[in-house]
Amino acid sequence: MSKHSTEADVAFIKALAELLNQNDLTELSVKRDYGIDDSLEVRVVKQATVVAAPVAMPAPVALPAPTTVAAAAPAAPVLSEDPAQHPGAVTSPMVGTAYLSAEPGASPFVTIGAIVTEGQTVLIIEAMKTMNHIPAPRAGTVKRILIADGNPVEYGAPLMIIE
Amino acid sequence: MLASVDSTSAQAARLAAAGLTSPAWVLAGEQTAGKGRRGRPWASPRGNFYASLVMQPAEPPEQVALRSFAAALALREALVGLTGLPQVFALKWPNDVLLNGGKLAGILLESTGANGRLGNLVIGIGVNLTTAPDPAEVEPGAVTPVSLLAETGLRITPEAFLDALAPAYARWEAVFTTYGFAPLRDEWLRHAARLGQTIRARTGTQTRTGIFETVDATGALVLTTPEGRVAIPAAEVFF
Repeated sequence: MSKHSTEADVAFIKALAELLNQNDLTELSVKRDYGIDDSLEVRVVKQATVVAAPVAMPAPVALPAPTTVAAAAPAAPVLSEDPAQHPGAVTSPMVGTAYLSAEPGASPFVTIGAIVTEGQTVLIIEAMKTMNHIPAPRAGTVKRILIADGNPVEYGAPLMIIE
Repeated sequence: MLASVDSTSAQAARLAAAGLTSPAWVLAGEQTAGKGRRGRPWASPRGNFYASLVMQPAEPPEQVALRSFAAALALREALVGLTGLPQVFALKWPNDVLLNGGKLAGILLESTGANGRLGNLVIGIGVNLTTAPDPAEVEPGAVTPVSLLAETGLRITPEAFLDALAPAYARWEAVFTTYGFAPLRDEWLRHAARLGQTIRARTGTQTRTGIFETVDATGALVLTTPEGRVAIPAAEVFF
């Protein structure tokens, strides 16, 4: 039974998948503990499609390095798109609830197309009745907003693209 | 002490923006624009306590947020010290202090540090020392507001209250920075209201009902619901 949300898990797995692609890795496994009795274990593996080994052959203990490099390009990404890998991604520094405006009914901190300055608050993540103002990591234009107001977010989840 | 201010937390944030670097309390006799969670107005007539502590924490945001519990424990400790009535105060997740089951106080934290940037943390605390809002003014289903004066007959001034609260907070801050969240969690659970009972937690998009099991090591509220155990990092709790 999961104490954390499915969407949050999906966002986390997406972020892992991108890490895998960005760093030319073939496999990544992570275990996260949520409190004392709940955890999430994820293993993300990239299929090296070019080197499909005959099934009868014993699998090598480790992939030779050239294979990894060769496999990187044609290997299908696990997910078609992952904003977390975008250089302009603003990611969540914590688990919580995201808010796009200071209070219900107020105008949002930013909208798509808005010009922001470095350090400007672009959204709030709430946890434990702490309102965390998330600053723009750099000056730029808000290209995408990846979360909906009031939705839960996981650690590392992409929130916005600013470039 | 300021006679009147828009909001002690807004004033504290302005002080920090102006370059204040050491922890400081802002105390005001009244607020003209006191705010609760999600912009809800916090009625702030004279006689009640309105203060905010501003500091520059060094930890990552999820650690900074755990000061919610330090503030609640300090507030309870100050109240017990001033009234001598340890049994009447209880805690509602994450940081409400209840008196005889009613809402006596509210705490709201605002932080500006994230993604590697150091920022400020402002802990705003309001306590109904002499007057409580009319129950008709609060949201249906919310805990009924109460005042210290009406419930206990004790009249305590805001200045006297801060004299008790500031050292109590300093002690819990030292415990937190020295030993981490575990001792805060233990103490908080000792005073938790409705532990083991069914409560409701309203998050940004849904309401979950379940048995209040515990608070986990990250500070999240743990409920056993028909769909299983869930850990909720942000919610409004209803009894």
